[in-house]
Order: sequence, then structure tokens, then C-alpha cells
Amino acid sequence: MLEIKNLKASINNKDILKGLNITIKPGELHAIMGPNGSGKSTLANVLSGKNGYKISGELKYQGKSLKEIPIDERAQKGIFLAFQYPTEIPGVNTNNFLKTSLNKVRKARGKKELDTLSFLKLLKEKSSELGIDEKMLSRQLNVGFSGGEKKKNEILQMKILDPNLVILDETDSGLDIDALKIIADGVNSSRDKKKSFLVITHYQRLLDYIKPDFVHVLSNGKIVKSGCMELAEELEKKGYKKIN
Amino acid sequence: MIENFKINSKEIDKIKKISKTERDFRINNLNLFNEKGFPNKKQEDWKFSDLREIVQKNFKKLDVNKVNSKVKKINLIKDFHHNYIVIVNGELKSSNFSFEDKNRVRIKNFKNDNFLQKNKENSLVCLNHALSDKGYDVEIEANYKFKKALIIYNLFTKDLKENILNSRNKIKIGENSELHTIDLVINDSKYKFMNNVYENIILENNAVYKNICIQNDKNEGYFHKFSKSKLSSRSKYSAFIFPSGPKFNKLDLEFNLEGEDSECILQSASFLNKNDHQEIKTKMNHIAPSCKSYQKVKNVLGSDGKGVYQGKIYVKDIAQKTNAYQLSKALLLSDSSEFNSKPELEIYADDVKCSHGATSGNVDEDSIYYLMSRGLSRKESIKLLIDGFLNEVVDMIKSNSIKKFVKSKLESQIHGY
Repeated sequence: MLEIKNLKASINNKDILKGLNITIKPGELHAIMGPNGSGKSTLANVLSGKNGYKISGELKYQGKSLKEIPIDERAQKGIFLAFQYPTEIPGVNTNNFLKTSLNKVRKARGKKELDTLSFLKLLKEKSSELGIDEKMLSRQLNVGFSGGEKKKNEILQMKILDPNLVILDETDSGLDIDALKIIADGVNSSRDKKKSFLVITHYQRLLDYIKPDFVHVLSNGKIVKSGCMELAEELEKKGYKKIN
Repeated sequence: MIENFKINSKEIDKIKKISKTERDFRINNLNLFNEKGFPNKKQEDWKFSDLREIVQKNFKKLDVNKVNSKVKKINLIKDFHHNYIVIVNGELKSSNFSFEDKNRVRIKNFKNDNFLQKNKENSLVCLNHALSDKGYDVEIEANYKFKKALIIYNLFTKDLKENILNSRNKIKIGENSELHTIDLVINDSKYKFMNNVYENIILENNAVYKNICIQNDKNEGYFHKFSKSKLSSRSKYSAFIFPSGPKFNKLDLEFNLEGEDSECILQSASFLNKNDHQEIKTKMNHIAPSCKSYQKVKNVLGSDGKGVYQGKIYVKDIAQKTNAYQLSKALLLSDSSEFNSKPELEIYADDVKCSHGATSGNVDEDSIYYLMSRGLSRKESIKLLIDGFLNEVVDMIKSNSIKKFVKSKLESQIHGY
């Protein structure tokens, strides 16, 4: 699904990723943990195609290079990034936005666009799974949403767009236990043999609910250690400093 | 030529059946106009909209003579039930108040009977005083609430070519009465013309007036409107303005909050593109205590679009407990877009709450990134953000059917972007 070799990324002449390697196969869930400033969010941004980074190395998705492919086409090809800080967009109705987004993705995949009625049915089903109040969806996109609502909205988008590769950028940060469980359930119920997940997190807590197949430690722009769930538990006990 | 545009007093003789007083009033105003010509940037009120230069640049000649104002058929809006009046090239042609008690509404051609007015500052007002001999005069009796909205269809015919139209309108709403109007511009002229309007709005005690002004159809018109409103005690005036259709448009709006506890809300959303020039100038005069005013002006400016907002809040010494607010927001899409904002506060009372704010900036890159990461192209993302920016104003319209109608009008305009 995703193959990254010797990935380097810099912004404003500052090197952030310094030769990162990771391979994610279909159906796998990888967790990336790491201290502040280690490059976790940069990795998420680079995968989504955000502008402004100088990139070298190999970045392959479904066997093809992602370089030169703009943000929107990556999304259409099934890459989904759940934002750490979802942007507030005044004046844009959440429902309408979701519908526009879904139909763009469907169209790109050669599927028929959904009419309003079938879309609302899908939306109702997915939002009730996540315990989202439908009133929230008639509000402006992320405007005045609580931290939990914003993150739930990200997971809702993930569910609706049905991507192949999901990147969760610290989706667990700032959530209470109940919201964390809902988000974890949302991820778990989406897992299947075809989908891959890259979960970026600071804490082991989320990983108690979402069992990762692999855990990597990202430090100073490189993956310094890889392992299984035990690695996450070790990190929680000892902290990042002792790992290097 | 147009550089030295003067109007012969013979034009006034063409207006039939006028008294000597009226003739003198018109001649005086005509002389004032001829003396001053079109306003230019040397005048503070026209600092950002040099009409003299704009006229010289765009017109070879200007004709004050009457034009053929015959219209065969008007396509009425079918989105919702409404009363209507039809104005063709400024002239009242027909009216229909089928949803109302006809005894409570009076409509006629405007006839001026006040020859004491003076407005030496704005030569376009002088021109209007001198030449206008058409327009509508609507009066709603006391204690009558309109059941359906009144649409004012403002048609401009294809006969218009380098004409300058002068018309004058008046709406008076009696005590405890309520009226909702939609001003709609429909233009069939493919040519340049000028439209110069003088408007009076009078709200008696407790009257409610809601107006939505839509000038969205793209046209080659050069519009100027001077509007003077009087708000009596506890009256409420709410205005929505969607003005970005004409090539040039200046709305000079004066609101006089003369009665205690009166309230005035003005909200505007415009999309200006390709050499459009638009100015909204307001003067919110708080003359009585405990009045409230709120102004929100939003502009999106495309390449070579120019927008101006000059908003003044004046608070008289006796107007204590005034609450006045003013906000201007502009979204600039191109390096060649221009937006000028001049907020002014003149306050002589000491127990008031007045605030103003102005922002202008580009489309937020983080927002574009977020939308693109959900599969929308850059252009679609920007369009959605423009839509959202302007919809914040449209969403304040209470009636759903009217809101939907306005939205579709606005969206069709943005679509061209």
C-alpha cells in the first residue's frame, strides 16, 4: 500500500525528516510514536501532499510514485488524513461540504455520484455509529465545534469517504475517555484486509483500544526503533529518552 | 464633449405641469450641477470613487432625454408568492397588491412637494432634484402588516444607450405597520447607461421595514443611489444589500435614528470582478437615545475589482445609551484587487457603546489545504470559501424561500469566477 524509502523533507531550509523508511501492507495498522518535534506531523503532511516542503527519497502509494500528485488527487485516490487541528471554515455548511467531497471522490473512482437522499441516508447511518448529533452537521464546518466534535467529524469523513490509506494525526490528543473510545471504535469497525492505517500518537492510551500490528518510534526525523505493541508499553513506562 | 458635461435648462421645460416654485427649485439644482459637474476625488465623499474620471473614461456622450419604456412581458419570480410593482427605466408602470388589503396601501407616481431640500455637497443629488420626474411613492397606513413580500422589479430596457436616468422614490410605513420588500434589478441593455436614484424611507413609530436589494445581474450600468431614511421611535429597519451587478455602483445611505429605541441593521455581501467598482457609503446618525445600529459589509474582490466602504457613525450629545457596531471584511483574490475602507466615528455622548473593525486579506491557505485534502480541486476549494464568506450574510435572512432565492442569485455570479 505505502512504501517510503529514505524520505527527506525540509521546510524553510530546516531539515525535518532525515531518511525515513516504512512499508505498510494492505490491512495493516502501524502506529508511529515520538516526542514533540520529531517530525510526526510533517510525515502526515507530506503524505497528504501539502505544499511548501522540499522532498527527496521514494514515496510510493499502490506501487506508484506520489511525487507530482497534488493534494486533491491523492484524496481522490484514497489517501485520507485526519487532521490534528481540523480547520474551521466559516460559512460552509458541514453537510454540503461532506456531500461535495464524497461525490468528488466517487467520481474520481468511476462511481456514480450520490443524490441528496442517498447521501443523507449514508450520513445518518455513519453519524449515528459515531454518536454524532445530526444538528452538528447542519452547522458551519468545524466552526465552534468542541475539540471532541472536531475529531469525531474527521472520523466521520473517513467513514464516508472510505479511503484505502488512513493517516490519523494525533486524533486522540485532547479527547476524554468516552470520545477516545468512540474514535477507536470508529477506526476498528473500519479495519479490513484492504485498508491500511498509519496512526500518529503521543500516548499508548489510544493503542490500548486500537491494536496496532506494528509500532515505530520516530525521533529526529528517522525511525529509530520498530516493534510490536510491547514497544508502545515500554515507551509508556520509560519515556522516549531511554529508547534511543 | 463629455469633459464639460452641461445640461441645458430647456430640459426642465420639457417637464410638464410644474409650478413656478418647482421650476425655480429645479433650475437652482441644475445650475448647481452644471457648476460642479460630476463629483471627483477632490471631494472627501468621493475620494475613492472619482466619478468624473470614470464618466470621462467610459462615456462619449450622455443623453438626459426620455427613452422608450415599453415592456411587453415581465418574468415574475415563481419561487414564492409576492406582491409587486414594476418600474421600467425608473418609471412606475404597474402594481399588484393582490395579497393585501388594498385600502391600506397607497401607491402613485412620485410627485415632489418639498422644494426646500438642499444638498450642495453631492452634485448627483442636485441633478436628480433638477431632472427627476418619475418614480414611485408607496404609503402603508398605520396598523397594517403586509402578508407577503413586495417585490420591486426594476427593469432597464434594451433601448438604453448612453442615457442618464433620474428617478425618485419614497416609501412610508405607518405606525405599527410592517413591510418587507425585495428590490430586484433586471437589465436588458447591453450598453452603458447611468441610473441616478434618490430615495426616501420613512418609518413611523413601531414600524418594521425589511428590505433586500439584489442587483446581481451583470450589466454595463453606472448606478448611483442616495437614500435617506428616517426611523421613528421603536421602529426597526433591516437592509440586506447584494449589489455587485453594475459596472459602477455607489450606494450613499443615510439613516437617521430620530426616535428612541429605534434599530437599524445593514448587511451586505458583494462579489466584484473584472473592473467592477463599487462603493457603499453609510452615515448612521444616532440622534435619539437608546438606539441600536449594526453594519456588516463583506466584499470579495477578483482581478481588478475595486471595493470601497466608507462607514460613518455619528452620535449626537443627547443620544446616550447608543449601541453602534460596524464591521467590514474583504477577501482579495488577486494582486490587482483593491479594497478601501474608511470607518469614521463621531461621538458627542459619553455613555455609548460604539465599535468598528475592518479586515482584508487573501484566501486562507490552510483552509484551501483542508478542503483539497478532501478531494476538492484548488479552484473548487476557493469557490467554496468565497461562497462561505458571502453566505454568512445570506444565512441571516429569516425566510427560507427568500434565502434560497438570494443564494442561487449569488452563486450564479460566483460561478463565473
